[in-house]
Amino acid sequence: MRRLVIRIRGLTKHYVMGDTVVRALDGVDVDVEEGEFLAITGPSGSGKSTMMHLIGCLDRPTSGTYELDGVDVSRMDDGQLAATRNSKIGFVFQTFNLIQRTSAVDNVAVPLFYARRTRVREPAMKALARVGLAARCDHTPSELSGGERQRVAIARAIVNEPRILLADEPTGNLDSKTGRQIMDIFHDLHRSGVTIILVTHEMSVALQARRIVRMRDGRILDDRPVDDALRDELMTTSLVPDSPPEPSPGPTSEGVARIPVARPVRV
Amino acid sequence: MFFLRIVLMALRSLRIHPLRTVLATLGVIIGVAAVVSAMSILEGTRSEVEGRFATLGSNKLFVFPGIQRDRGRAVGNVNTLKLDDADEIARACPSVASASPQVTSASLVKFLSKNTQASVLGTSETYADINHYQVAEGRFITRDDIVGEDSVVVLGWRVKRDLFGGRPALGEVIKISGLLGSRGFRVIGVMEKKGNIGWTDVDRQVVVPVTTAMKKLYGLDAVSMILCESKSAENADIEAAKSEIKKLLRQRHRVRPGQQDDFQVQAQGEFLKQFSQMQNIFAVVLYSIAGISLVVGGIGIMNIMLVAVTERTREIGVRMAMGARRADVLRQFLIEAGIVSFLGGGLGVLLGWGMAQMLEQTTRILNTSTTTQAISWALSMATITGLVSGIYPAYKASKLDPVEALRYE
Ligand SMILES: Nc1ncnc2c1ncn2[C@@H]1O[C@H](COP(=O)(O)OP(=O)(O)O)[C@@H](O)[C@H]1O
Ligand SMILES: [Mg+2]
Repeated sequence: MRRLVIRIRGLTKHYVMGDTVVRALDGVDVDVEEGEFLAITGPSGSGKSTMMHLIGCLDRPTSGTYELDGVDVSRMDDGQLAATRNSKIGFVFQTFNLIQRTSAVDNVAVPLFYARRTRVREPAMKALARVGLAARCDHTPSELSGGERQRVAIARAIVNEPRILLADEPTGNLDSKTGRQIMDIFHDLHRSGVTIILVTHEMSVALQARRIVRMRDGRILDDRPVDDALRDELMTTSLVPDSPPEPSPGPTSEGVARIPVARPVRV
Repeated sequence: MFFLRIVLMALRSLRIHPLRTVLATLGVIIGVAAVVSAMSILEGTRSEVEGRFATLGSNKLFVFPGIQRDRGRAVGNVNTLKLDDADEIARACPSVASASPQVTSASLVKFLSKNTQASVLGTSETYADINHYQVAEGRFITRDDIVGEDSVVVLGWRVKRDLFGGRPALGEVIKISGLLGSRGFRVIGVMEKKGNIGWTDVDRQVVVPVTTAMKKLYGLDAVSMILCESKSAENADIEAAKSEIKKLLRQRHRVRPGQQDDFQVQAQGEFLKQFSQMQNIFAVVLYSIAGISLVVGGIGIMNIMLVAVTERTREIGVRMAMGARRADVLRQFLIEAGIVSFLGGGLGVLLGWGMAQMLEQTTRILNTSTTTQAISWALSMATITGLVSGIYPAYKASKLDPVEALRYE
């Protein structure tokens, strides 16, 4: 068995709203090994983003334990959490979240800057080259297409060579063709040893992972490796009961039927 | 390096709303401009005044007629200083090297069809020596001229040029119009080119015997000032000269013990001291105004920074997700506030300097001098204002919850 990078036990996150308590996470146990490619799916409001925020050290749980690389994160102070986010975790968001009016290379350099690196441009350019955007390094986000923006965001996420890449619906704002390009980059990163956890609504995206965790109401519904049995099962039942509308629904509904066959997950 | 990056980052975010930023820093800009222009004027007058005092020489004492007071209120100058007082001061005060009585007036002087405006100085033969002011041609007035109340005149360099051009002036007769009518004066000398002595442009001055000026031109029975020179520029000698003059004049004017002097004696140094005291009062007023305008400016900066923090909530969340510590966020916004204010200060310096220049050009009498000290003072005050006003917005930014900030629309 490979090394555990994430060990989560009985994790809860409650939000108190007036006199009701929202149980965004309600007792979650998950282990993630080094080099895994994990997809988290579930209906809207099931706690996927909350889970990502906790794994990403952006937030502290209400209760439960979370060990990252054997270190109990729930006991860290703000400064240690920031340092952990900087060195061990890369974030990719649905809405890209690039800094406006700032060139691609400067956006990519942001984590280096907070790592107090003195040489910044060279590693930032290397990361951009890795996502195939070296030529666009001086363009600002508004001069880039959606797919290019997301690739800059991925370059930014990997520039500090983190152990874990967290992506919350990274293809949610992209058409399916661009989404596939983004997924190709994730596969490439996965092959090079990065642990990837991504949240998605799309079956075609989820099935490209090695393991799918399905959530509902802040709990884990099931946690299964992607194999033929799961693929067959998903051909008949829905991955996500209430899929949100897609930017271009045509290719996706086609993809749901086609992709498990036409694009088998590389093993 | 790290600091430089934050500065560049701050500049980048300023570029986004240049007009808004300028408007927000208007308070700082105006405050700094006011301070810089006022300091330029203060400094300009100070060096001007000190320069003029320097032309007088530091061993000078000035005796003025006293100011007549009625229940503490000044009711006018009295004609207490007589011609003899000057002679007696020179004779009886051991610490006084020489004394020269003066009456002055501005008059029209004429030669044939040419005329020019000149200041007419009635004085004694000692005037030229006391002021180290030399005759270029002919001679200066003498004791005999004074005793004889002769109608002779020594021309300032420029007056000679205006009236005679390149032609010789010695022996010619010019007309000076006084209160008692116009009178002919024979030119006995022409002075060297000198410029200013004190506040007088002596090149535009003509010198006549003091007796002639008082009796034949203006009908005066008192002098307007007695210029004295002490034995040396030593403080002790100046002080001694001052008390000797006071004692002598009280005696001569029959001032009873306990009664106020009917004259004033002031050494050159005292003038300077009074002047700098006056300047200090102005400076205090100035700095208070500066302080107030900087507070107002600071509120403007704080406001714009609060807006910036709200607008960039998501960016702050992203930066935190990328590993920015609370201290990093705090520092970023603090430095940004400092830079905004510093740049506002820079604009203010330019504006203030321009205002001072304009004043100098339009008034032509005001001297201004914008010192680097004034500029750096203004810029550092502006920057400190920015940093202080940035504290609260920056603190607010640094206390944002990363998850909430990322969710912010
Ligand atoms: N800051 C918060 N305050 C109150 N409720 C919250 C907050 N954040 C998330 N929630 C609630 O927690 C639940 C899970 O949210 P989230 O993790 O964003 O779901 P998902 O990403 O799966 O759509 C939702 O019901 C959401 O409304
Ligand atoms: Mg979500």
